[in-house]
Amino acid sequence: MTTKTIEKNSLIGRRIPKMDAPDKASGKTRYIGDLNVSGQLYGKILRSGRIHARIVRIDTSKAKALPGVHAVITAADVPDQRPIGVNKDHMPLKGDKVRSQRDEIAAVAADSEEIAEEALKLIEVEYEDLPTIFDPRDALKPGAPLINDFKKDNVAMVFDYSHGDVAQGEAESDVVIEDSFELHYVTHCCMGVSGVIAEFDASGNLLLYSNTQVPFLHKREFAELLNIDPGRIRIIQPPIGGGFGSKLDIYPFEPIAIFLARATKRPVKLMFTREEEFLASPTRQPVILTLRSGVRKDGSLTFRTVDTLHDNGAYTSWGATTPFVMMQTFSSLYRVEHCLYKTTAVYTNNPYAGSFRGYGNLQATFAIEQHMDKLAEAIGMDPLEFRLKNAQEAGEVTGQGMHFKTCGFKDCITTAAERSDYQAKRRAYKAAQGAPGSVKRGVGIASMLHVGGGAKIYPSDGCGTILKLDDFAHVTVMTGASEIGQGSETVLAQLVCEELGVPLGSVTVVNNDTDITPWDVGVHASRTTFIAGNSAIGAARKARDKILNAAAKVSNLAAGDLDLRDGFIVRASDGQVIMPLAKMLRSLHFSDKAELVMTTHYYEPPSVHQDKGFKGDVSAAYAWATQVVEVEVDTDTGIVTLLKVWAAHDVGRVLNRLGIEGQIEGGIVMGQGYAITETLMIENGVCKNPNFRDYKLVTAPEIPEMDITFIETMDGEGPQGAKGVGEAPAICMAAAVANAIENATGTRIYKLPFTPENVYRALHPALAEAAE
Amino acid sequence: MSAIQRYLAPTTLEEALDALRESEATILAGGTDVMPQSQAGRLRLQPTLLNIRRIDELGGIALDGASIRIGALATISELLESELINERLPILAEAADHFASPQIRNAGTVGGNVCNASPAGDTLVPLIVLNAEVELASKRDGKVERRRMPLESFFAGPGRTHRAADELLTAIYVPAPAEGFVAHFAKFGTRPALDISAVSVGIGGVWRNGTFKNARVAFGAVAPTPVRGRATEGVLEGSALDAAAIGMAAAAARDEVRPISDVRASAWYRKEMIHSLTKKVLTNVADA
Ligand SMILES: Cc1cc2nc3c(=O)[nH]c(=O)nc-3n(C[C@H](O)[C@H](O)[C@H](O)COP(=O)(O)OP(=O)(O)OC[C@H]3O[C@@H](n4cnc5c(N)ncnc54)[C@H](O)[C@@H]3O)c2cc1C
Repeated sequence: MTTKTIEKNSLIGRRIPKMDAPDKASGKTRYIGDLNVSGQLYGKILRSGRIHARIVRIDTSKAKALPGVHAVITAADVPDQRPIGVNKDHMPLKGDKVRSQRDEIAAVAADSEEIAEEALKLIEVEYEDLPTIFDPRDALKPGAPLINDFKKDNVAMVFDYSHGDVAQGEAESDVVIEDSFELHYVTHCCMGVSGVIAEFDASGNLLLYSNTQVPFLHKREFAELLNIDPGRIRIIQPPIGGGFGSKLDIYPFEPIAIFLARATKRPVKLMFTREEEFLASPTRQPVILTLRSGVRKDGSLTFRTVDTLHDNGAYTSWGATTPFVMMQTFSSLYRVEHCLYKTTAVYTNNPYAGSFRGYGNLQATFAIEQHMDKLAEAIGMDPLEFRLKNAQEAGEVTGQGMHFKTCGFKDCITTAAERSDYQAKRRAYKAAQGAPGSVKRGVGIASMLHVGGGAKIYPSDGCGTILKLDDFAHVTVMTGASEIGQGSETVLAQLVCEELGVPLGSVTVVNNDTDITPWDVGVHASRTTFIAGNSAIGAARKARDKILNAAAKVSNLAAGDLDLRDGFIVRASDGQVIMPLAKMLRSLHFSDKAELVMTTHYYEPPSVHQDKGFKGDVSAAYAWATQVVEVEVDTDTGIVTLLKVWAAHDVGRVLNRLGIEGQIEGGIVMGQGYAITETLMIENGVCKNPNFRDYKLVTAPEIPEMDITFIETMDGEGPQGAKGVGEAPAICMAAAVANAIENATGTRIYKLPFTPENVYRALHPALAEAAE
Repeated sequence: MSAIQRYLAPTTLEEALDALRESEATILAGGTDVMPQSQAGRLRLQPTLLNIRRIDELGGIALDGASIRIGALATISELLESELINERLPILAEAADHFASPQIRNAGTVGGNVCNASPAGDTLVPLIVLNAEVELASKRDGKVERRRMPLESFFAGPGRTHRAADELLTAIYVPAPAEGFVAHFAKFGTRPALDISAVSVGIGGVWRNGTFKNARVAFGAVAPTPVRGRATEGVLEGSALDAAAIGMAAAAARDEVRPISDVRASAWYRKEMIHSLTKKVLTNVADA
């Protein structure tokens, strides 16, 4: 008899197509837009269109009389509504006054979308306009109009951070520079527009089909909002057509759909149009930022003072809290002894910002990495050497208390620089700035630090997993972690396969139903692979131990001498097959012991909450990256063409090579859009380009060539050594492009985006002035 | 909500003209303007939707005596691929190459581009440079009547033409260019594909023995309709197209246009881009 042997076969680091890819590519995936529940009505929202106005009168009688209309509600119909948002300053339906273009005045539930639209047109609203604020600087002026009456100074939120003593730092500096930076509005542009289906059962239990990124937090928030027991709320997430942070908060359309369902006792589906998606979903936080930095002649940084003004819009969502991340970059990307950071977020009549991939870090990095170039120039040092001299290393604990247990920063810098030939190109392009011809080339470098092991902001930063094996060795992993297209279910399945020695096809991941899956804080902060991965590994290891202990008894080998490979129990030393895993499971199940293999695990990362001064080791691991870009600038038109990007990322370890490449490529393109093409044009509170013709996402021919290198630092706490990298690739681009434009033209531009007209204006200030 | 009560898809011109005469109709060719505009509420659909795509005689690109006839239904892709166009009217292929995306080019027609009368319509500027005529047909008193007029004077404003409600644009006629005629087109958009022109420039003329004659200049997206650049033509007439002449013509172009500011560009930037594009186009012409 020949005995079969099986080699150890790991999936880690391989190129694994996403498990949901075949359905998505073939159009079989049912997103929320494709989902219909029987008996559903269609909800639509009437938005103000006014910018700041008192509501004098709303008359819904004509709309109510339209056949096919089941409910028309205004603030008066929901006296129990409660404010939502980070500051609880946002009533879903506005009763007293409107504060921005998107404001919700009334809502309709009808038999069809068309009837609902028609009904909206029949609602009469009378307004009395109020004085407005569009420039955040005006919000702080004495006598400024008040946007929210309970905030007499228009200040929505303040952040103060410091370590060291910047005055001392300034005294020790040989060179001090100060500049102001201005960062614009962009929005997520998820392919799937926002939507929700709300349904109450006869006992008053609420079922929500929702695109949320934080189902468990929202369950609780909706309960507070509706004043019902959280246990009566179930959230099911259909496949989500993109998140990027946009679905981290509750927005008015969600409670409004719930109110409509309550009023009609019917399920209500409410979907945004694309135009609404532009008008009424959150933006990236626009920022006016002043940065003052000092350096000694030997190239060591002395201090940094940062003062930022955030345009908070009329209401407060997560955008206001991006300083949590911004300050980390200022305090800890490079070693700096003295750092003072302040943010004031003020109310205006503009759109409000939410969380968006990178969470303030794109803005911070834009400023800091331009200053790194300028400081190097000021002391006559090579910008690469200057960065290397100040770069963090493994083992460091920063002024803000972040502890870098693994740190591939210097490797990132040198790898990206060497692969792009950064130094030689930079010198050559600088020398060619004055040469004839309108087309110039430049290279630019920028680096970033971002949390890569979760972020302990909520009471827990954990994730739970329930794992079961059936009689045929099929594994079901029930995880709290949400899938928003980032590929988490594939990575989680891979990590489980690694422990249980089953093929990928034997794993199902269930991740979309709060009645089934255990708690998770949500998909944000680049945390899912790290936190949910560790949680899945924990549950899988418990199952593995159970199986191997049982197998030890029947094989007369120690559990430690056994392994699971390819669906079999084998001897670890030589891979000799002992029995099929499924057989072992059946014999456990149908023996006298009558046992099913089912395990649970809750993983809480060993990070700590920050103290009141924002100090503490907030993440279990930190991700690093350096990106070098090469651009062509046409000085006759201002068109900036991105030719190539070299990206070197400390990712801990590559788990799914195909997935992580996609993540980096997508992030680079998102960063490119932020830097060069995208801008949500807000003029006097009105969005001028709520469509894809005029809001310019990067199109395929604009996507640059990319050279991506992974630096594997094998993080001790990471799942199989990995760190989170979801946000990292978008962060450096704007800063690197700014530096490249300077290298090409000698002109440094402090204001985003680098659209042709803005760049042309900056390159030809005399022409622009003459025209004014 | 759609107000369409009747859909017609005739196969002959006469039937289509009958329908136009008898009812309030929206003419549908490739639909690449009709669909987005009606969706956005900018175009009110009439009770009759008249699909003209099945009328064979409205298609084709062919020599017609001393002219080149471009059927109203010729698509932008056909312009791009037509040998006749590439040999005799390459400026049109140049414009087609920077037009939308392959999908839109396959559906969108020249007739639709002209009748849509957008000041940014990309075939309009080259057709003006080429001195093209439009042919309009109607059925009055029981018989099909055809008339022609210079394309340059066809436009009445953004989205408005001198086509009567019962007329169909049947074809565009371009006189075969003279010996030595050279023309180029450039469009300024902010990205390489799928962008509406913020401005565009077309310049043509007879370029022989170091002198440029019979100059024709047209600009897109700087006025309510595409416009001739008469001042620039004046500067170019008889010029040697050297660097100094090109510079003067570009400055003249910048000075004669009166664009507006909108989401795509400010008026100032549009003038600057007219300057840059005029230089670029003239350099291409001079290189021929
Ligand atoms: C994504 C996208 C990108 C685009 N990019 C460009 C671009 O780069 N450059 C550009 O110039 N345009 C662009 N367009 C606009 C459009 O594609 C063109 O104007 C196209 O040529 C229109 O042709 P059509 O056959 O689709 O016209 P349709 O939409 O069918 O018709 C357009 C108008 O002309 C009328 N009409 C059509 N044919 C006739 C006829 N024979 N007689 C009388 N009236 C007629 C219709 O009633 C309608 O008012 C773009 C459109 C889209 C959707």
